[in-house]
Amino acid sequence: MRFLLELAWRELRVNGRSLWVFCACLMLGVILVAAAGGLYRVVSSGLLADTRVLLGGDLEVESNAPLPPEALQWIRQNGDLSLVIELDTMLGTPAGNFLRVELQSVDANYPLYGELALEPAMPLEQAVAADGEVFGAAIDATLAERLDIGVGDEVYVGDLALQVRSIVVYQPDRRLSADWRGAPLLLSEAALQRTGLIQPGSRVEYEYHVRTDIPAETWRQSFYTAFAGEPWEVQTFYDRSQRIAERLDQIASALLIIGLSTLFIGGLGVFNSIETYLRGRLRTIATLRAVGLRQRPLAIVYLLQVGMLSGGASLAGAALGALLALLGSGLIEAQIPIDVSASDLVLPALVAFGFGILTAFTFTFPAIGRALSAKPAALFRGNEPGVGEVPLRWWLACLACACSLLLLILLALPDALFGLAFIGVVGLLLLLLEGVVRGIRRAARGLEARNTLLRSFAIRLALANLHRPGASLRSSLLSLGSALTLLVACTLIVAALLRALNTTIPEQAPALVLYDVLDSQAAAVSGAITRSAPTARVELAPLVRSRIVAVNGRPLTERADTEQARMTDLAARADYKLSYRANNIDNLTLVAGDWWAEPVGGRPLVAMEDREVDRLGLALGDVMSFASAGRSVDAEIVAIYSQKGLQTRFWFEGILSDGALDGMIARQVGAAFLDDPAAIEAQKSVARIAPNVVTVRTADLLETARGILGKAASGLAVVAAVSLGASLLVLISVMAAGRTRQIYDATVLHALGARLALIRLGLRLEYLLLALVTSTFSILLGAAIALPLLRFRLKLPAEDLLWLGALVAFAVSGLSLALGARYLLHRLSLNPVVLLRGGQ
Amino acid sequence: MIELKNLNMSYPLEHGRLDVLTGVNLEVGDGDTVAIVGPSGSGKTTLLVLLAGLEPPVDGSVRLDGRALDELDADALADLRRDRIGIVFQSFHLVPSLTALGNVALPLEIAGGQDTRSRAHNMLERVGLAGREDHYPAQLSGGEQQRVAIARALVHAPKLLLADEPTGNLDLRTGEKIIDLLFELNSDSGSTLVLVTHDEAIASRCQRVVRLHQGKLIEEDQGALPA
Repeated sequence: MRFLLELAWRELRVNGRSLWVFCACLMLGVILVAAAGGLYRVVSSGLLADTRVLLGGDLEVESNAPLPPEALQWIRQNGDLSLVIELDTMLGTPAGNFLRVELQSVDANYPLYGELALEPAMPLEQAVAADGEVFGAAIDATLAERLDIGVGDEVYVGDLALQVRSIVVYQPDRRLSADWRGAPLLLSEAALQRTGLIQPGSRVEYEYHVRTDIPAETWRQSFYTAFAGEPWEVQTFYDRSQRIAERLDQIASALLIIGLSTLFIGGLGVFNSIETYLRGRLRTIATLRAVGLRQRPLAIVYLLQVGMLSGGASLAGAALGALLALLGSGLIEAQIPIDVSASDLVLPALVAFGFGILTAFTFTFPAIGRALSAKPAALFRGNEPGVGEVPLRWWLACLACACSLLLLILLALPDALFGLAFIGVVGLLLLLLEGVVRGIRRAARGLEARNTLLRSFAIRLALANLHRPGASLRSSLLSLGSALTLLVACTLIVAALLRALNTTIPEQAPALVLYDVLDSQAAAVSGAITRSAPTARVELAPLVRSRIVAVNGRPLTERADTEQARMTDLAARADYKLSYRANNIDNLTLVAGDWWAEPVGGRPLVAMEDREVDRLGLALGDVMSFASAGRSVDAEIVAIYSQKGLQTRFWFEGILSDGALDGMIARQVGAAFLDDPAAIEAQKSVARIAPNVVTVRTADLLETARGILGKAASGLAVVAAVSLGASLLVLISVMAAGRTRQIYDATVLHALGARLALIRLGLRLEYLLLALVTSTFSILLGAAIALPLLRFRLKLPAEDLLWLGALVAFAVSGLSLALGARYLLHRLSLNPVVLLRGGQ
Repeated sequence: MIELKNLNMSYPLEHGRLDVLTGVNLEVGDGDTVAIVGPSGSGKTTLLVLLAGLEPPVDGSVRLDGRALDELDADALADLRRDRIGIVFQSFHLVPSLTALGNVALPLEIAGGQDTRSRAHNMLERVGLAGREDHYPAQLSGGEQQRVAIARALVHAPKLLLADEPTGNLDLRTGEKIIDLLFELNSDSGSTLVLVTHDEAIASRCQRVVRLHQGKLIEEDQGALPA
């Protein structure tokens, strides 16, 4: 064994330099897998360690109004209670700036779980207490930064001036959405009452956090039983865990799949580079066999070499990936309260290492098996030893490794369904690819045979190189093609999102969107805007939060079909936002039925959102019964609409005919069409006369969205670049494997009288054809992935952006292959004399 | 057809030079068959390399049909090989990516000729490989590969056929068949044949035998058996 190890090492040291592609391909894939897996592990264990902290209790009872004393008494008898009253509003500064915030009144028990960290450190009670007439507040660090305010400064909320006593540097139950939906401002309940913002119709949320020893589910059921028929919703920490885990699993699975795809594309590089290496070792293998080394120890020599290389590359990749995950989780830690523990990275790194080793052996077994069949007899004739078919046992070993790899995928992916889907899609893609390769070969063969059609020898030569046995078409399509597919899909998605942002300009979309306008404030708010900008157009529409109580006269609770029952149970507890058409304020698109002509006589009519229609199994002609503020309305569905996706502001679930909501309307929402500088002034005017009204400037929203998209696009670009890097490495390995063949062919052609220029033209055409075929393949596949996603999930049709995807694909493949061709032509020094001297 | 005058060829070594051919003079007429024989290292292949215009001599001149090869640039030399020379290699040197038909058609296609496929097809028939047109070199035996190589060398009716140990990689029986075929086709085409071989029996089938020893043309036998 020692001898074999020494032999393996010595040979690797002397001849293994060309195997750098093997190591690099493997390492890139392992890095991505280790980084994605590590990041997932760190974030999920940090977030899911105790979701009681994130929820702020074992359970949370949510209500739009204060709970009655008997409910509070019940809760206190069954656990500890902390009430957080939440309200969205605008925070003003002495400099006249306004920003959307979430007011959170806290009591002495807050927080029930975890610790709040204030800067300067002080008890929360002290931070929010009244000092004479002035109440204190603790503000989120992002608010302090964005409004340039600090401890001791005065801020305004509604009718109240508050003094900033402390900055919140860590809040255990801070929401992930706080950065774009309004950062928290903590104040006392008394201060909140003094703001004057809590009025009938205000959108206040009462969150009763409960700490209890009773199992959460038991507690919830007992509560529901005790207060049957009440609209209060109870969430447990387990619900929260499940939701977070589900979302995290999906994100992590998607990232891991990109990593695994890169690893498998890299596998091709592994295969090509080991095959090229072994082709150069055929004489050695034949010689070793000729001097009596048996097949088994010979196999061990080359398996040891693969083990050493893949072990080293996978170890380095796993370590680098873990480091990347550590750096990434450090960045996430700044956004989300998680504890990063390096020990969480060990298992994902080991798994990535396993993926590396298994991938390497899966892709090298056939090449080793074939090389070991080199016949020593050829040495006696002075020929290069020929090789036969891959022996069956090597295929079996390859299959065993591949099965282990698939098993590891299913075990490693957080969402096993994703894993199965991934395996299925890879299988389908390979079949599709095989079909495409055969089709192209047949077409190339057919074209080449049409002597009269293609008179150019260079074109015929290039076509022949596409379909000849051992052509690089399959490897190129699989490696560069799959990376380009990812790139095309990302380009289309990012471009469609950017276009959506850039076309959402004040001329076409409202520059200012208004929420929580009390019915009594409607005229004043409209007036304030038009006074600031006389040319502004203001649209206001009611916003009624209702519940569905019956469909076609049948209460939702009586619906029996299982899946629908679960959905309808959710629907019965959910708020449905209803409004009037108001000049189609939210830019809805009808997908069935027609808008009605106002005024509508007889029974009110309703247009329902398509998602709700699907969810509840509704149809045109059904009669919906909505209830709100002690009143109810029955309306017949005469139209179904879809939202505009990203550009939707209010997400109405139902639009009723005018007058149908009379008596239920307490609040309105609005949209003001004007230019952005005027919108800033209008925003200030509204804040001065109606401080409870939340106003959002579209320009501000777009800036935030662009920032988020920018980060997402950078992340995607990094992932796509790594994937592309791996593909280019594979391409290098494909070219290296084919280079000897190409130079040999060119030498023979030159000896037969082909001019160098003709040979060069033929090679250029070969690469050009390859670039064309690869790009077309990627554009079609990338579009097939991205366009349905954009059209159906994000409601952003992007078929007209296909040219951009095509441009990127052609540019990247053209550039990659042009560089490859240039490299080859640079190395193309032909010497036909070697042919006469018996060389190859 | 061929005129070699005072031809010298040497290769640089780490210390000094290795003289391969020294003062070689030779004239070969149209349609002649000439065998170049000699031990290994005597300069046989080098002489063939110079005749094919694949390397320039250190000194002296090579003229084919009155044209001095040293006056031609690389493209003109390529055109000369394309139009007037056919080469049969010891190791066949077929293009593995092309079928038998594709390989035979190569010289015609490089020249941009008409009916390349049908002419190549006819040539394959003449070497006894009808029905094997779509086979790749790897799917052919050594003898079949050499037949394809001979067909390729003669398909464009070259004035000069250079053959380097054409049976060197074949067994005796196959070798004999190949030589018969080579001489038969050469006779039909009327090309000038220059054949490098170790085999005195094969050499004796040529009209003339040129013997090389240590780079010098030391003897020229006349009156060998006609092909």
